[in-house]
Amino acid sequence: MNDSTSRGSRDFKGGGVSPLPLMNHLYTIIKKEVKELLTKELMMSLVFMAVFFVFMGKMMRSVEKESEKINISILDLDSTQYLQNILSLVGSKEIKVNIIDAKDVKSAIGKAKADSTTVLLVIPNGFNSKLMKMEKVEIEMYSIMKGLSMTETISSAMIKSIVDAINKSIASTFIQRLAPDKKAEDVLTPIVTKDFVVIKDKTLPGTPAMITAITTSQSMIIPLILMMVIMYAGMMIMTSMGQEKETKTLETLLTLPVSRMCIIGGKMVGSAIVAFVMTVIYMIGFKYYMSPMSELPKLAVSMKEFGISMTPLGYLLLGIALFLAILVALSICIVLGVFTQDAKSAQTMTYPLSMIVLIPFMLTMFKDIETLPMGLKILVYAIPFSHPMMASKFLIFHNYLPVIYGMIYMAIFTGFTIWIGAKIFSTDKVLTAKLALTKKITLWKK
Amino acid sequence: MSIMQIMEHSVVVRELVKTYGTQKAVKGVSFEIGMAEIFGLIGPNGAGKTTILRVISTLLQITSGSVNVFEYDISRDASDVRKLISYLPEEAGAYKNLTGKGYLEFIASFYSTNTADKIKMVNRGIEIAQLGKRIDDKSSTYSKGMTRRLLVARALMVNPKLAILDEPTSGLDVINSQEIRGLIKEFVENKGTVLLSSHNMLEIELLCDRIALINDGLILEIGTPEELKLKYKARNIEEVFVSVVK
Repeated sequence: MNDSTSRGSRDFKGGGVSPLPLMNHLYTIIKKEVKELLTKELMMSLVFMAVFFVFMGKMMRSVEKESEKINISILDLDSTQYLQNILSLVGSKEIKVNIIDAKDVKSAIGKAKADSTTVLLVIPNGFNSKLMKMEKVEIEMYSIMKGLSMTETISSAMIKSIVDAINKSIASTFIQRLAPDKKAEDVLTPIVTKDFVVIKDKTLPGTPAMITAITTSQSMIIPLILMMVIMYAGMMIMTSMGQEKETKTLETLLTLPVSRMCIIGGKMVGSAIVAFVMTVIYMIGFKYYMSPMSELPKLAVSMKEFGISMTPLGYLLLGIALFLAILVALSICIVLGVFTQDAKSAQTMTYPLSMIVLIPFMLTMFKDIETLPMGLKILVYAIPFSHPMMASKFLIFHNYLPVIYGMIYMAIFTGFTIWIGAKIFSTDKVLTAKLALTKKITLWKK
Repeated sequence: MSIMQIMEHSVVVRELVKTYGTQKAVKGVSFEIGMAEIFGLIGPNGAGKTTILRVISTLLQITSGSVNVFEYDISRDASDVRKLISYLPEEAGAYKNLTGKGYLEFIASFYSTNTADKIKMVNRGIEIAQLGKRIDDKSSTYSKGMTRRLLVARALMVNPKLAILDEPTSGLDVINSQEIRGLIKEFVENKGTVLLSSHNMLEIELLCDRIALINDGLILEIGTPEELKLKYKARNIEEVFVSVVK
């Protein structure tokens, strides 16, 4: 007797259940899912994660501030104050200049270390006289490393900029001496550019780097949030399925007078709610962590004047695209969830989903999809999650059609996957899937 | 199968076959359960008892044959069957983060939209479970016996027309087992029908109106305990079982 179709169709019509009980059943399952998934332990780990990000952000800021402070020690073997004077001109309040009184470099290094010096400059004998003759002079520069941290790299960059400033200052002095009627700045940088950017039919002042910096920051945050929601939602729904099997509650649930569609719907919505809560908490911490690194360049004109800003319609489409992407993830996971046996195996089952999400995430971050080879381009477009990740890039240029096509594709994909999930739930595969899978693995091993 | 047969019985099973891949778990069994009857399935591990219970509970699909629960065909009208039955699996659990009472409320929500009915159902469940104040604790803190009592309460509180109980007293001590048996008898006195399976021959003998002895996916004998004991000249069902299986 082949009964799956007939029984399944009756199941998904709700077996004559009126809409009110159906909504009550859905609400009951959603409530149960949220209670089961949003545990104290999970909340504690999330809060810990958010606090950790805040702490990391604070630490990063203090490291950056620290790296801006530079202690320069000078061993002046020429006994002139020329370099000191230049440093006081080019330096900022973050630069502290210290003159070291020592007979040789070795003892100067010792003293510099004791003074927490970042760099020791050794001015050789005859420095001033050579400069007066406009000859090249070599000064020794000893960077004193306290460790191998990122701070040391930032300090090196600061020192290089100071040396460049010294060179520029000395060169300007030379130019002034040789050609008093010329502006030293004009001689040092005879060519300057005035930058314009042409986007669509508009020409406005600015550089492509400035524009891409802004658009990239806008289009990066959305894929990032999306990736997190998708992964969390997927993880939650599979954990839910795993827990049902582990605690042996699935059999009871499947014999209750509730339609299979209600069970699937309740699990999907419940998981999405928990995933949303997780993402919000995570993002609060992450935003604080990222804030010092996400300062945007200032443009002479607003993005609106370029015609590359998000319109209300754009935001609406983006919202729908994100919602559809979450549905896609949940529908995939409800099918994968059938094969989970417990909460632990549910974690493992999220790996394929992570890979599917990571491919478009990485590609949209570093490459323009249109520039990819045809095969890879088809693969990226076939992954439903690529569409919302690319959506913001299309939407800020008011290019709505590709986003709408993507949404249609995601809706079809979701419908098809939910249909597969519903079919599985209406058969005994939901209980026996492991048997088949284990058997296949055993046969394969043999 | 005639309509009269279906009308007279709560469950009618005809030539039921269930296979998992190439393995035949149930090889064509037929039996019927009367109204307000306690019908027991006994047999060794792997005999096919749980598979039969799972099929009647609408969890597993039939490979061939037919099963009717009251007027409904389980293949065609699974969702209608689920409104009439309550299934207690052998290895069942409750949701870890729900309290005992929360779990009973969760189950009751599917059987009635009327708040008063739901409260009545839950109160009946609390009475059956006999967990005292622990009913307000999370089920993850319960012992195996406490969880089983909660699950039996869950199965019987909704007052199903057919209760399908797989090893109902599994994990319970003598006192608790006796109480549960009393509840099952009380349930039948109130016109409910019970299909149960057990390894406990004494329990089967004490509870069941009729029993089916099953081995290797086939029913070997069906009858009342007294009929079977007489037929096999045995003092108890355990001896009947050994004689039949040998």
